[in-house]
Amino acid sequence: MLPLAHGIGGRQDLPIPFAAALTGAVLALVLSFAGLGMLWTEPRLAGALRYARPVARWLQDLGGAPAWRWSVRIAGLLGAAYFCLGLLFGPDRAANPTAGVLYVLFWVGLIPLSLLFGPVWRALNPLRTLHLLACAALRRDPRRGVRPLPEGLGYRPAAAGLFAFTWLELVAPERATLPVIGAWLAAYSVAMLAGAVLFGSGWFDKGDAFEAYSDLIGRLAPIGRNPDGTLTWRNPLDGMAGLAPAPGLTGLVVVLLGSTMYDSVSNAPFWVRFVQESGTPAVIPGTTGLVVVIAAVLAAYLGATALAGRWGGAAPGRTAGELAHSIVPIAVGYLVAHYFTLLVLEGQRTVSLLSDPLVIGADWLGTGGWTVSAAGLSPAAVAMFQVTVIVVGHVMGTVLAHDRALALFPRRTAVPGQIPLLLLMVAYTVTGLLLLFAA
Amino acid sequence: MKRFAARIRSLAAATLLGAALLGSAACGGTDAAAPAPAGAQQAKEIAVTIKDRKVTPPPGRIEVAKGQTVRITVTSDVADQAHVHGYDKAADLRPGTPATVEFVAGQTGLFEVETHEQELQLFQLVVR
Repeated sequence: MLPLAHGIGGRQDLPIPFAAALTGAVLALVLSFAGLGMLWTEPRLAGALRYARPVARWLQDLGGAPAWRWSVRIAGLLGAAYFCLGLLFGPDRAANPTAGVLYVLFWVGLIPLSLLFGPVWRALNPLRTLHLLACAALRRDPRRGVRPLPEGLGYRPAAAGLFAFTWLELVAPERATLPVIGAWLAAYSVAMLAGAVLFGSGWFDKGDAFEAYSDLIGRLAPIGRNPDGTLTWRNPLDGMAGLAPAPGLTGLVVVLLGSTMYDSVSNAPFWVRFVQESGTPAVIPGTTGLVVVIAAVLAAYLGATALAGRWGGAAPGRTAGELAHSIVPIAVGYLVAHYFTLLVLEGQRTVSLLSDPLVIGADWLGTGGWTVSAAGLSPAAVAMFQVTVIVVGHVMGTVLAHDRALALFPRRTAVPGQIPLLLLMVAYTVTGLLLLFAA
Repeated sequence: MKRFAARIRSLAAATLLGAALLGSAACGGTDAAAPAPAGAQQAKEIAVTIKDRKVTPPPGRIEVAKGQTVRITVTSDVADQAHVHGYDKAADLRPGTPATVEFVAGQTGLFEVETHEQELQLFQLVVR
């Protein structure tokens, strides 16, 4: 779980009841195989994006207006500056909001924001704005770097960045303290700005872990840009199916799912006992555990997609990248189930602390008096919600995989080709439910 | 046409099954949320010993009912501080001297109990 020594994550969710976990698992299994027989037989997702209904004129104009874009960028800069106040000048104590802002409001808060509005971090990213401003001052085109962005790079830098962040969040010693957070963010900012100078602002699209994270989740938003740039209302499934395969995409998706699963595993009593009795510093079993869980998720994925490719008769080596988008809703469902109450409860606490980032007794935002309210969060309601989002994510993943399988595989072999994919998704979903039940 | 009808039938069957399953889960959930009879239980006594960084009994989960009084006694071989997260109850530990924290578990959830200096998890308190 999150860094406890500094008071983050004081209360955690109860394990879900066994009946709820079982129900979710059976539903996932039944709906997957029912879907295989009943869904459409010609690929129909993503293509519809071209014809999606444009949003109202005023919203269209607002979204495209330079004044609006600059307001959002400046909001991102101001937010980052306010965050740095606590990070650089606040005392290193539990009353400092920095760790809560980074691990709860930013990392977890980006999930609902992206689910509603799309790739919001791309618009807010203060590093992108800094690069843009520096280029404007030097009268250079921000899109042009020292050299062109290599085609083969794809999402690999973002996958590496996401791994580095999840390692910081879940494993790094003293990860809630200011020097550790500050050092990590400084190194990350330098790496991102160097990438932008070298390859131009296009580097941020797939190189910045948080932009890629927000973009992956934002594919599920009901609003998005169609290929010609028009803002449209769309089916989230079309949005997700529009995620084009690129090198490193599989890695990015697998790190997202695997790291969250590791967070659950590391909370299980057997793991705590193992780490404490191993006698080694916790960072060694922690890092090993994180790598092993991600590797297991990856191995399952590569094995199942290779088998699907063989049974389905697809061109060798294509299935893994082409199907990566179908794992995203499963990962997002699990993320939401895992982090929902943390965001609600610790989010309130962090907003209250944010009013006094220097811990001098100030109340700059007027939220200093907030007390954490668990309004309506009964254990039964939370468990029900967790199982529901996991099953919804699973069903969306199944539908996406089905649709893509129809495009990848010849008709004759499309059904056998989907069997390994269904089993993979059921395995991910059941593992997720088991972790919520047991860990 | 026939095939279409068969599909509709199996779709309806799957939906019914799903609804039935969801219903059963909802019922299971309601039972779990029923409030514990206040004051009916005795206080839960939990004793933990720390020696050479080894926690006895080994870290696990201890369940108590919401509203129950919890009394935790920790004996450590080095000076440290024991802390119950979420409830924010702490006790200073002096070498060899048992220290006790007592509180009413009024909030449901899972709470880690640990020491701050040696950073050992003693157990997880599960309040239902």
